[in-house]
Amino acid sequence: MMASDPPVVSTPALALWRSRSIGLLLLVAALALLPPLLLASLWLKVLTGVAIYTLTAAAIALLYRRLGLVSLAHVALMGAGGWVGLRLAYGLGTPFEVNMLAGGIAAAGLGMVFAYPALRMRGLYLALVTLMIAGAFAIIVNVLQFPNGGGGWSGFAVKSAGYMPRPAIASNDVGYYAYCVVVTALGMALIHWHEIGKAGRAWALIRRSEAAAMSSGVDVPFYKVWAFALSGFLAGIAGVLLAGNLQMLDARSFPAAESVMIFALTIVGGAWNPVGALIAAALYRLVPALLNDFGVNGDAAYIIFGAALIHALATAPRGIAGQLEDLASRLFGRSNGGNTR
Amino acid sequence: MIEIDAVTVSFGGVTALNTLTVQLDAPVVGIIGPNGAGKTTFLNVLSGFVRPNSGRIHAFGRELTGMQPHQRAQWGLRRSFQKEQAVDELTVEDNVRVVLDSLPLSRDVVEDALTGALEFTGISALRRRSVAGLNAFERRMTELARCVAGSPKLILLDEPGAGFSQSEVATLRSVINGIAETIGARTFLIDHDVDLIQATCQRTMVLDFGSLVTYGETASVLADPKVRAVYLGMEET
Ligand SMILES: Nc1ncnc2c1ncn2[C@@H]1O[C@H](COP(=O)(O)OP(=O)(O)O)[C@@H](O)[C@H]1O
Ligand SMILES: [Mg+2]
Repeated sequence: MMASDPPVVSTPALALWRSRSIGLLLLVAALALLPPLLLASLWLKVLTGVAIYTLTAAAIALLYRRLGLVSLAHVALMGAGGWVGLRLAYGLGTPFEVNMLAGGIAAAGLGMVFAYPALRMRGLYLALVTLMIAGAFAIIVNVLQFPNGGGGWSGFAVKSAGYMPRPAIASNDVGYYAYCVVVTALGMALIHWHEIGKAGRAWALIRRSEAAAMSSGVDVPFYKVWAFALSGFLAGIAGVLLAGNLQMLDARSFPAAESVMIFALTIVGGAWNPVGALIAAALYRLVPALLNDFGVNGDAAYIIFGAALIHALATAPRGIAGQLEDLASRLFGRSNGGNTR
Repeated sequence: MIEIDAVTVSFGGVTALNTLTVQLDAPVVGIIGPNGAGKTTFLNVLSGFVRPNSGRIHAFGRELTGMQPHQRAQWGLRRSFQKEQAVDELTVEDNVRVVLDSLPLSRDVVEDALTGALEFTGISALRRRSVAGLNAFERRMTELARCVAGSPKLILLDEPGAGFSQSEVATLRSVINGIAETIGARTFLIDHDVDLIQATCQRTMVLDFGSLVTYGETASVLADPKVRAVYLGMEET
């Protein structure tokens, strides 16, 4: 039920990618520069959250789209990346970029640990294992807490009011928002770069059938582990960005349920299109904030999301982004591969 | 020369291959036998998907028995599947390129190998097309192009002709006939189409209930009363 058929999208030809990449650069620039001009600072923080969770959703979508794997642990991976980033920031005072890379690498390592059950299990069983890992992380981090400038190994102190320093070039909210948009765009470019290359071809064969992949010389375990490492890396980076956005992290905001929620929204948004990740993140961060703004309890969003997930699984396997794509191709008569559903 | 030495495979109670011993030494070897005879299992053992309970396999002096499937592919083994396995979401070219990805080849060599494989199988015109839009025969040829790319040593084809028209099978036949000379690989061909076997295979082995019935010149194998008995026995049931 969860792992739906891979819809048919041809690998974009290089020329198309080049002409598109200019448009994408403009889009990223617009996303990074426009909202700060228009919005109050509270909303800017929410939008920064959208940018960050877009990267997380893209990382989840990669595993789902390429290997049909359901990961219910990505918020936990963000938390792990964030923990490492905070620890370095307070402990060593290293620059933000170094902390971010370290957080990414730590989460990539954790992702590779997840990959081990994934080599033997699929579908529901694997999903349950990742959920258990997310649950274990929630318990551990509730004990450890996130580093906040305290002493000792865990770097936590009850009465400390340390704030995580932001990157030197983006210390105010406006700058930091733009910074997150750019990092997320780079992360998604990294995914794309993998998908049009050797790894993408290997993943496509694995998804078709592991037997076909192996008999074509693909080292199946290696490419599965690689997908988890890449996905974990990006989630870890997103975690450090989140720590920079709030300038601290709260252990209570990493329950396993959040991982389930962001996964569900990734499916609702659409795992086969980068826009889907943006939609997922917007739903995740923006809808509760908007509901709060209207005076409705933000938790009502969960009901909406549940209904949207059922809708997506039943009628729109490529999510909202897929539906938008169909609509656009109908409106503008643009032919796109075999997207007839 | 490919040497099969007392290979036995059993699945629970079923003996799919029964102490199979044979030395296969022709450019194209046919493998025939009734359904359930163990033909696909034999290819699975060769390509490493099924571990034999006992026995060994040597190909061109190299012991294959302990190698992983992807290592065998990198060594020079290729196979097509009874149910074709072309990948919809990739282009024809990328379907073939994947097999070259795992080989230590320079960029130029990869491009030449790609062009060569696509020309050899007659699908150069489809090179940049997505496989999703291809018909069954074009998909089969895409899979065949994957099999011949990258200087393979041994190609295993599991019923490649099943379900195709006469003219399509004729195309397939001329491609298979060209493998030994153009690609320089040996081919093992499973098929139920006796005409195709006759037209392509210098030698043929016959399996029945996992055991070797006979192996020899295709014409004399097909004329062998023992082989006729195997097929007659099948027709009676
Ligand atoms: N993976 C498997 N598990 C259990 N039995 C199998 C398996 N593969 C093949 N068999 C059995 O082994 C026998 C030979 O099958 P197969 O090699 O597919 O025959 P053929 O290709 O000649 O029609 C059959 O009885 C089949 O049911
Ligand atoms: Mg068979």
